[in-house]
Parts: sequence; C-alpha cells; structure tokens
Amino acid sequence: MMMPRLRRLCAAISQKAFLAIALSAVLIVSTGCTAFAPPESPSAQFEQTQSETSGRKAPDAVAKDAVKGGSLNDFFPRSVAGYSGYEVVAAQEKQGFAQFKVNEGGANVAVLSINDTISNPNAATKYESSTRDIQGFPALSIGNNGTGVLVGDRFQVKVQSRSDSFKAEDREAWLEKFDFKGLAKLNR
Amino acid sequence: MSKTPVYTLVDELPNRGLTVMSLKALDFAVPGAWNNLTGFVNTIKEVTGETDEALIQEIGDRAITLYNDKSEGYQKALWLYQTVDSASSALGTGMIANKFTENKSFLGLINKLTPKPEKAQSFDLTIKLVVELVAFCQINGIPGDSIGDFLGAVKDYGGESLMRMAALVCYDGLVPLGPGFAEKGLATLKQSSASDLDHNKTFKGVKELIPGNNDKGKLSFVTESFESVQDWMLGFVGDRGLTQDKVVTSLSKAVDLSQDKLEYLGAFLDVGTNYYEHTGIQTLTRRLIERAAAEV
Repeated sequence: MMMPRLRRLCAAISQKAFLAIALSAVLIVSTGCTAFAPPESPSAQFEQTQSETSGRKAPDAVAKDAVKGGSLNDFFPRSVAGYSGYEVVAAQEKQGFAQFKVNEGGANVAVLSINDTISNPNAATKYESSTRDIQGFPALSIGNNGTGVLVGDRFQVKVQSRSDSFKAEDREAWLEKFDFKGLAKLNR
Repeated sequence: MSKTPVYTLVDELPNRGLTVMSLKALDFAVPGAWNNLTGFVNTIKEVTGETDEALIQEIGDRAITLYNDKSEGYQKALWLYQTVDSASSALGTGMIANKFTENKSFLGLINKLTPKPEKAQSFDLTIKLVVELVAFCQINGIPGDSIGDFLGAVKDYGGESLMRMAALVCYDGLVPLGPGFAEKGLATLKQSSASDLDHNKTFKGVKELIPGNNDKGKLSFVTESFESVQDWMLGFVGDRGLTQDKVVTSLSKAVDLSQDKLEYLGAFLDVGTNYYEHTGIQTLTRRLIERAAAEV
C-alpha cells in the first residue's frame, strides 16, 4: 500500500512529466511548423509586378506604336576612331528596341542600345534631371555602368560597360558617334 | 506555355545534380565558359554589374513584364527548350528498356555507348539543333527562318549558350553516334520522308514552331539548317580535339559512374539530364535582363 506522502509525490511527478511532455510536444509542433513553412521566395520583391503583368488583362509590354527594331539599326556606330580591334555585333532586334554588342578580342566589353520609350515613359522622364548633354541631347549616368541619352524626347540611347576596361569616358566616346540627328527625325 | 514566373524558373535552377555534373564535365571542352549562374537577382547583378537596389528592382520589373508578354517570344523559347528535353527523355526511357531486354554482352565500350535505334538518335540531334536556331530567333527577335543570322551568331556564342552547344555536340552527337555524328545526322535526314520525321517523338513535340508549311517543308528546313551548321560543329570538335573517349572519361569521373554501368551512359544522359532546359533558362534570362537593363 502506498503511503499518502509518496502518492502525492508521484502525482506531482506525473503532473510535471505531463507538463514537460505537453510542452515538448508544443515545441516540436511549433519548430516543426517553422521548418516546414514555405520559405519566402528569394524574388518576393517582384511578386507585385508578376501579378500586374500576367493574366488575361495584362498590358502589352511594348506599345503598338513603337517603331520597328530594324529601323533603329542605321543609327548605331559600327566603329569608333581610337578603338581599333573592337567589333560591333548585332545582338537583339525587337519592336521598339535594338541592341549591339561591342567585343574586343572576342570578349564582350560593352553593349549599345536604342529603345523607344513610348512603351515605358518612365525611362524618358528621368532625363528631366539631366544637367549635361551629348551631341546637344540630355545625358545621364545610370547606375555603375551605364550612360544614357534621350534623343528627340523619345529614344533612349544607352552604352553600358560589360568590362572594367570600358570606362565612362569610353561610353561617352561611343555615344558621340551615334547618329542622333537622324534618330530624332524618326519621332515625327 | 509556362505560367511559372520567370524569376521562379531562375531561382529554382539546381546547383547540383546530374545535369549540372554532366555540364561541368564538359569544362575541358569549353574552359571557363559556364559557371551555372542561378537566381534572378543574382543574374541581374552578374549581367549588369549594377548594385543599386532601386535600379535592380527596375530592371527585374521590366524583365518580368517583357517575359509575360507572350508576343515577345521568350515563353515560346522556354517551351521549345523544355519540350525538346522531355521528348528526347522519352527516347532515352525506351532505350533503357531495350538494354534490359537485349540481355547480351557488348563487344566494347564504344558499342555499349551506341544506343539503338541510331535513326531516332540522329533525328534527336538534328531536331535539337533546329530548336536552338528557332529559340535563338525567338529570344533575339530575328525572323524564325534566318539560318544565316544564326550561323553568324553561333560563332559568337559564349557562356551557357556555348556550353549548351558543347553538350549537344558531345552528348547527342559524339557519344551516341561516334565521330561521324554530323554525317550520320545529315544522311538520316536526307534518306527520310516527311512521315518518318512525323513518327519521331522529339519532332512531334516541337514541330508547331519549326518553320515550314507542312511536314515536308519542315523536314527541308531541318535538313538545310543542319547542313549549314555541320561545318561549325565539325570545327568545334576538331579545334578542341574532342573524342568520344575524352568525353566519356570526363563524364564518368564527374558522375562517378562505374565501368559496368557505362553501357547505359547515352540513355542515362537522356533520362537523367535536362541540359537544354537548364541552360536555355539561363540564356533567355540573360537576354531578357540585357534588354530590360537597356530599356529602363
């Protein structure tokens, strides 16, 4: 027969054991849930754009009135004095957009592009803050590696470095050789 | 077409596994060309060298907008890369089944690696090449039947595009068909009728995007394309001194494949890897980001 004191002790122990087991279970469940909860997408910052640009009612990425990419090709420089051995290679040509690569010894050192900002007007409005010009058109430094010019209030011309050897002054030298006057006439 | 966001496709590209190992095994053929760039934001930073968070956000937003507009061609290119991989995998599954039923010894390693049927493998090689051409045109905005433009561009291929071509030449040409892979591919096409082509799973999977009014027209486009790129492929093999033995040795080291399993190598590659889709996603993401960075 169990003594009353011992019975109370056993009851207290079993109560504690029950609490410990219950607490462990809660911990296991809660940590388990954390472990199995879907992690936040590494690109969660783009989810809003994804939802706004997908589905049936999504807007066109390129405006119907954007100029043909092929009509932009003639305004690119194919060579620039002082850059012998540099090769200009066609890269992309889509409506409202044309892009060429500048390669040196087979390695890509820069990209040249023209885009019709009728499809994304924000690209043009940023030139309102420009304080300098290239060939008489507003110019801006963009990010670490880009220099852009807005031609005829519509066409953005950019040179972006793809190698540390191609510096801001190289970008400007190439921008000087685009046919901006011809390009501006496309905006009529 | 895929409804998966483009950033998810890039974020979920694996950093290991059979596809990655089999591509790394080809580093000896195209040294340093491929570094398995994964992750959407990571790709933006790597391609553009930009670090400003607001600019990265703008570039990513524009890239997503361009990708989601089906008329821009990026989704078609993805579909082509995915479909040609899954259709050729079905071919590989059949080959593995054949190996088990044949139940006979093989004379040597080369025979062991030559899968049957050779005709199906030849079709697979030629159609994968044409898929590259069509996907290239979709991504870069060049008319879909522009073989000349593609030929000019393939000589300028670098990074994951060059690695994809290396894998095509090695794993779909040299390993299963031997050093005469290009001649075999072309001979198969020239001896085939349009209905032969239409019985091929790989062709059936992608034929709607291959230029040509009917199967006969599509067959002649595939033939003309393959014939035009044949010299480039042979030059690729010759310039780099590639042989079946070198490729197999490098691959068997990379995937730790024991000698007694080598007979399954060709089929194993078909079933276990999706190198077209993997590197195709990397290529279209790069081109998208290049364009987006120019447009913002």
